[in-house]
Amino acid sequence: MNINFEIALAGNPNAGKSSIFNMLTGSHQHVGNWPGKTVERKSGSLKYKDNEIIIVDLPGTYSLTAYSPEEMIARDHLLYDKPEVVVNVMDSANLERNLYLAVQIIELGIPSVMVLNMSDLASAKGIRIDKELIAKELNSFVVTTIAREQKGGEDLLEAVLAQKSKLSQGMKAYEPIKIDYGHEIEVEISELSRLIMNSPAIKKVFPVRWLAIKLLESDVDIQNKLRLLAGGKEIIFSAEGSKIKLEAIFEEDLDVIIADRRYTWIHDLVKRAVFRPKEKFISLSDRIDQLTTHRIFGIPIFLAAMWFVFKLTADVSAPYLDWVDGVIHGPIAGWLYAILYGLGLEGSWFESLILDGVVAGVGGVLVFVPVLMFLYVALAILEDSGYMARAAFVMDRLMHALGLHGKSFLPMLVGFGCTVPALYATRTLENPKDRILTGLLVPFMSCGARLPVYILFAAIFFPHNSGMVVFSMYLLGIVTAIVLGIILKNTLFKSKEQSTFVMELPPYRVPTLRSIWFHTWERTSAFVKKAWTIIMATSILLWFLMAIPVQGIGSFAKTDVSDSAFGVINKAVAPVFAPLGFGSWEASSALFTGFVAKEVVISTMTQVYSVLEEPLEIEQIPTISEGLKEIGVSFWAASIDTVKSLPLIVGINLFEEGVEDDPTSLMSSIRVGFEESSQGHAALAGLAFMVFVLIYTPCMAAVAAERHELGMNWTWVSIFGQLGIAWMMAFAVFQGGKLLGLG
Amino acid sequence: MSPQIMPLTFLPLGSKAKLSRISAGTGLKSRLAALGLTPGTEFTVLQHNGGTFLLSVRDSRLAIGSGMAYKIMVELLDN
Repeated sequence: MNINFEIALAGNPNAGKSSIFNMLTGSHQHVGNWPGKTVERKSGSLKYKDNEIIIVDLPGTYSLTAYSPEEMIARDHLLYDKPEVVVNVMDSANLERNLYLAVQIIELGIPSVMVLNMSDLASAKGIRIDKELIAKELNSFVVTTIAREQKGGEDLLEAVLAQKSKLSQGMKAYEPIKIDYGHEIEVEISELSRLIMNSPAIKKVFPVRWLAIKLLESDVDIQNKLRLLAGGKEIIFSAEGSKIKLEAIFEEDLDVIIADRRYTWIHDLVKRAVFRPKEKFISLSDRIDQLTTHRIFGIPIFLAAMWFVFKLTADVSAPYLDWVDGVIHGPIAGWLYAILYGLGLEGSWFESLILDGVVAGVGGVLVFVPVLMFLYVALAILEDSGYMARAAFVMDRLMHALGLHGKSFLPMLVGFGCTVPALYATRTLENPKDRILTGLLVPFMSCGARLPVYILFAAIFFPHNSGMVVFSMYLLGIVTAIVLGIILKNTLFKSKEQSTFVMELPPYRVPTLRSIWFHTWERTSAFVKKAWTIIMATSILLWFLMAIPVQGIGSFAKTDVSDSAFGVINKAVAPVFAPLGFGSWEASSALFTGFVAKEVVISTMTQVYSVLEEPLEIEQIPTISEGLKEIGVSFWAASIDTVKSLPLIVGINLFEEGVEDDPTSLMSSIRVGFEESSQGHAALAGLAFMVFVLIYTPCMAAVAAERHELGMNWTWVSIFGQLGIAWMMAFAVFQGGKLLGLG
Repeated sequence: MSPQIMPLTFLPLGSKAKLSRISAGTGLKSRLAALGLTPGTEFTVLQHNGGTFLLSVRDSRLAIGSGMAYKIMVELLDN
């Protein structure tokens, strides 16, 4: 017999909940969003003994008081969607704090299975846990697991089935434990419970005792929901009366007293059920922390970690990036051309659409993939090892100057790789104000895609100091973000309340390959899915603009760029950039397409400066096997290059080739063009152009992410704010430089 | 002699203390309570990094920012 049912996975952050989820569901996962929220909703399925079990992974929370979107989601799911069984994952070595959530789940009256995860770490610390006693006291099932090593999954599922069959056998369903909150509070709870029992509409929706407790805790969300039900207002009124009475007795907020009583109950249980070694020893994790969070040593260690991430994403991924690019524009474009040739469509507008529109669009998405994968590998290592939380700790003081706190540093850092995942990384911040401010500052971190522009322009205009110039661009982005952060902190985001930074630092752990892979895969594929449509659509739109002849010269898809709708638009826009020294239609075209993706700034320049590219010839098209061989060989070469570049992480270049490219025809065309548009101040104009590329509106994909994370209004602020700041800064560079007689 | 109550900010490195009260809004108090910081809880100061504190509370390690540290009133315990 096939039985389908749903269970929910709850637990504190860092309790190993995602390891349990991955262990149970393997690759059968689905990632989406909770309705109307930006919080990720993960679910998965598994088959076990004729049962088809759906698992919903709730956001990691410390309690169910609903002060953050995550807590709200977790609680609403448990309260209203009523999963058949809740699996609560706990860190065995930190049971007291983890039991706080467990107790709240049990008070809600949902049948549960308690998982003592990471039991190996607890044993290593010499901690012994009396499972049976905990099971008895919580009236629940208790199992031990080591999810990282895939141990205990079957026990867990057996417990879930046992809990479920216990319910379906109609044994006096499920009697949740009662925590004794002390005489004074209990009197008020009984009084409120009696009122609730007399209101059928309310009794139907909420567990009675639980609701009474929540009202005494002044849970605003529950009050709001209760007001809509018949008899709700009276109950709230009565609860407020009880609260005033009790707070006069305790001289403290009632919710704090209630939390304290729960902890007292838990403390008593832990004293009886958890045995720890008498002698206190300092754990390895604490020893490492003495260094990594040290007032002085913490900073160099942090910088080294960031250097590692940066190098891994920037240098080590580069050969694969070239490989992806080569495959798309080599064999794949070739094959498509061969197919179109075979269909007799050679030279048609359709061919142009496919090769110049679609292939360019696909390329625009896929070239991100190697960079993102390496970035995510690096982040997964930092996160899974536990270092990420230390980085936030070390950076907290510095980020304070920007009105932010330590946790905002991570999105900023990720921004150097790619703005898109950086914006999604702002989700780790609880406070919406922090999220928005961080999201607005993230695009100023110069992403990987802007780098080729700096490199090309530095090589053209500053061949002797190109490294220095490129580095200053990064620095300028950071300084701009700092200045802007300070301004916003003191104006739009001004508040008396200092941003509150509380964060748990999980114990250090050696990351497992499996979990690194899970993280990397999940995030990379999520990006591809999200960015796919928008980038594709804009590249096709751009192709259309370039294909439509508006000057009466040429026909559809057979017109020079300068005669196309695209060229005409940019000729109209170009004067805006004249005070910045690059008021040519070629330069504004590059900036225009740079909005689609920063990667295409250079390729647009190649097109608009009419640098001849070798057209595809049918004779050159590789056969399928030749092409596959080429793909394989170049992948191998890219892998070798990657291995070679690994020593670069620590700054050692073992394989220096010292290639100095001669100025290409593109470089000289750009130089001539800038010379002309700036009336002889080409170097200043080039620098101003680089500054503009650094600061102006991020790409389409980033805008899509901003809309998703910040909402449409802030996205407009970001788009136009950045355009404005970019224009002013480039103006200052060009005009200021001229005044000072530079360049 | 009554115990001396002071903000967390003034605790020296390595000291043990007991939380006496938090002078902040309800939301903040509940958050700290969920993390295990309830009145009467004892903890140790592990690090002290320019106003940001690292505490050892009930087997877990909590980072507390400077803004919050001065709202947490504590009682210094003898080591």
